[in-house]
Amino acid sequence: MRKKGTWASFLFVLFVLISIGLMACDTGNVDTTENSVEPMITVMNPALSTSMVERIPLAPRTDTIEGKTIYLVDLQWGGPEAAYSVFEEMKAWFSRNMPSVNVEIRRSSGGPFGDDPELRKEIIAQNAAGVVVGIGG
Amino acid sequence: MSRFAGSIETEGKIPTVGASGVNVVNFKDYMLKYSFGMPIRYVAFPFPIAGQPRSVHKEYVEGKDLLSEAPMMQAIIDGLTKPLTDEELKTGMPSEGAPEPRFLKADTEDNLRRLFKEREWTDYNTIILPVEEKVTEMLEGTGHKPDEVVCESGSRKMTVEKAAIYAVMVGAKPEYFPTILAICSRASSFGNSTSSMANMIVVNGPVRKELGMNSGTDALGPYNEANAVLGRVFTIAGKIMGDLRLNAGAYSTLGSNLQYNNICFAENEEALPEGWEPLHVQLGFKSTDNVVSIGIGWSYISSVGEAQISHPPHMMFRDYMRSLAGMSATIVMDPTVAGLLKDAHGFNTKEELSKYLSENVGVAAGTYWGNGVNTTAFKPMALQGREPYATWMNTPPEELIKPFTNARGIRVVVAGGGIQTTWFVTDFQFPGGVLIDKWR
Repeated sequence: MRKKGTWASFLFVLFVLISIGLMACDTGNVDTTENSVEPMITVMNPALSTSMVERIPLAPRTDTIEGKTIYLVDLQWGGPEAAYSVFEEMKAWFSRNMPSVNVEIRRSSGGPFGDDPELRKEIIAQNAAGVVVGIGG
Repeated sequence: MSRFAGSIETEGKIPTVGASGVNVVNFKDYMLKYSFGMPIRYVAFPFPIAGQPRSVHKEYVEGKDLLSEAPMMQAIIDGLTKPLTDEELKTGMPSEGAPEPRFLKADTEDNLRRLFKEREWTDYNTIILPVEEKVTEMLEGTGHKPDEVVCESGSRKMTVEKAAIYAVMVGAKPEYFPTILAICSRASSFGNSTSSMANMIVVNGPVRKELGMNSGTDALGPYNEANAVLGRVFTIAGKIMGDLRLNAGAYSTLGSNLQYNNICFAENEEALPEGWEPLHVQLGFKSTDNVVSIGIGWSYISSVGEAQISHPPHMMFRDYMRSLAGMSATIVMDPTVAGLLKDAHGFNTKEELSKYLSENVGVAAGTYWGNGVNTTAFKPMALQGREPYATWMNTPPEELIKPFTNARGIRVVVAGGGIQTTWFVTDFQFPGGVLIDKWR
């Protein structure tokens, strides 16, 4: 008898829990009927197409810059003093570690946004072995 | 930088290495694909470089290249001497991906909203999804064909239809569309600089009333639909036009909150004192023209309180303008301030006020050159002996120079409701205006 009463209580509690669960479903946003499936929509694409540009290969490299001239070109990004001493430190490094390399430091007269055709002409005329250009930031 | 290095590589067949700060070096990949086409070899220095003592520059040179992790000088030598890879020898047009389709793949609203955010096509405020019906309705606001190009930058072309999509996204009405097209025609001037630039949009002419724009009380505040929508569309169009995505094209270090609305307002032409011409007339248009003018700048300073007779507004403008970079200025003032300047202080035209400021704003030479934009843009000219920069470069740092040499670079715009004698001093500059009626 006592066992029967316990079983009845368990069923009652289970019924209440299921009822609460069903009520929660009824009042919540979850709708399991077929009509509630979110509709598919088609919209126009805001993106713009971008075409890639033609590839241009780099100039061939030489085996070594030992015994040759290289140019360090300061584009004056941030002003003439912003990075000039970086180039001076590079030149000092070459003096200590590769003294056969002749290092020329130049400021590009056009600044970071312009050009310096005279400087380009000088570099090409000197048949430089390499050019370091910068420093962007 | 890529262009200078590229010229040396192509004209002289001389190897180059591009030296960059680590802050912007990643943009080389975008430049290679879409803008320049040459795979310049780069090394990356720590940032910042400007403003550091020489001892730090020495550490940079003796430290590592932040791209390859090799010692910096070894990375530079490798860049000049290591044989070219197959990738670096490539020529011709790369194989293109498919162009952007006209429609996106059908999906649920939630997923599409998520996609718009993921692709960074929004300002992260809620948008209206551009279904074809709404875009078609928007296109009825203009007589221009949907495939006509409104704005072009490199290979990227914004058509009238794309502008209509952006107009729908921000909730515009079709009657706004000609003004939106005029705004979109300048989308490539949307501020995007490491220095965190922004824009100012001023509308002049009868169209202000036609669209119900606010030029009176709270003209610059969030209290008018047309001002809000027209300002916002420039953000959406500017971001998409420039392919500006965070850390992939967008590179303003602080960014600017002004870019949510781009200071979009109408000039209060009706409240201008007699003799004071509206902005568009100063820019060369007729008073009956409908014009949108888009300025670019950085700074925005408020007068905060009432104008004082002991130190009147024009003197306060002069004082505040000392804080600007020194290239240009735009003063936005309440009509009551304009009235005081005319009636109590004798400025009969905007030009007279601009001339006074050009002649009287004095900035310490050290302060002027302490501004990195001035130093980057003008010190190379000073080193070539070009005036007035050469003289200013040799001026003692504490001595005053007058950097606003061009009075026409100082603009005055009147807006506001006559509730307080306040004003804003800004450094926005207006290169010109766009006729709205051209886009009807």
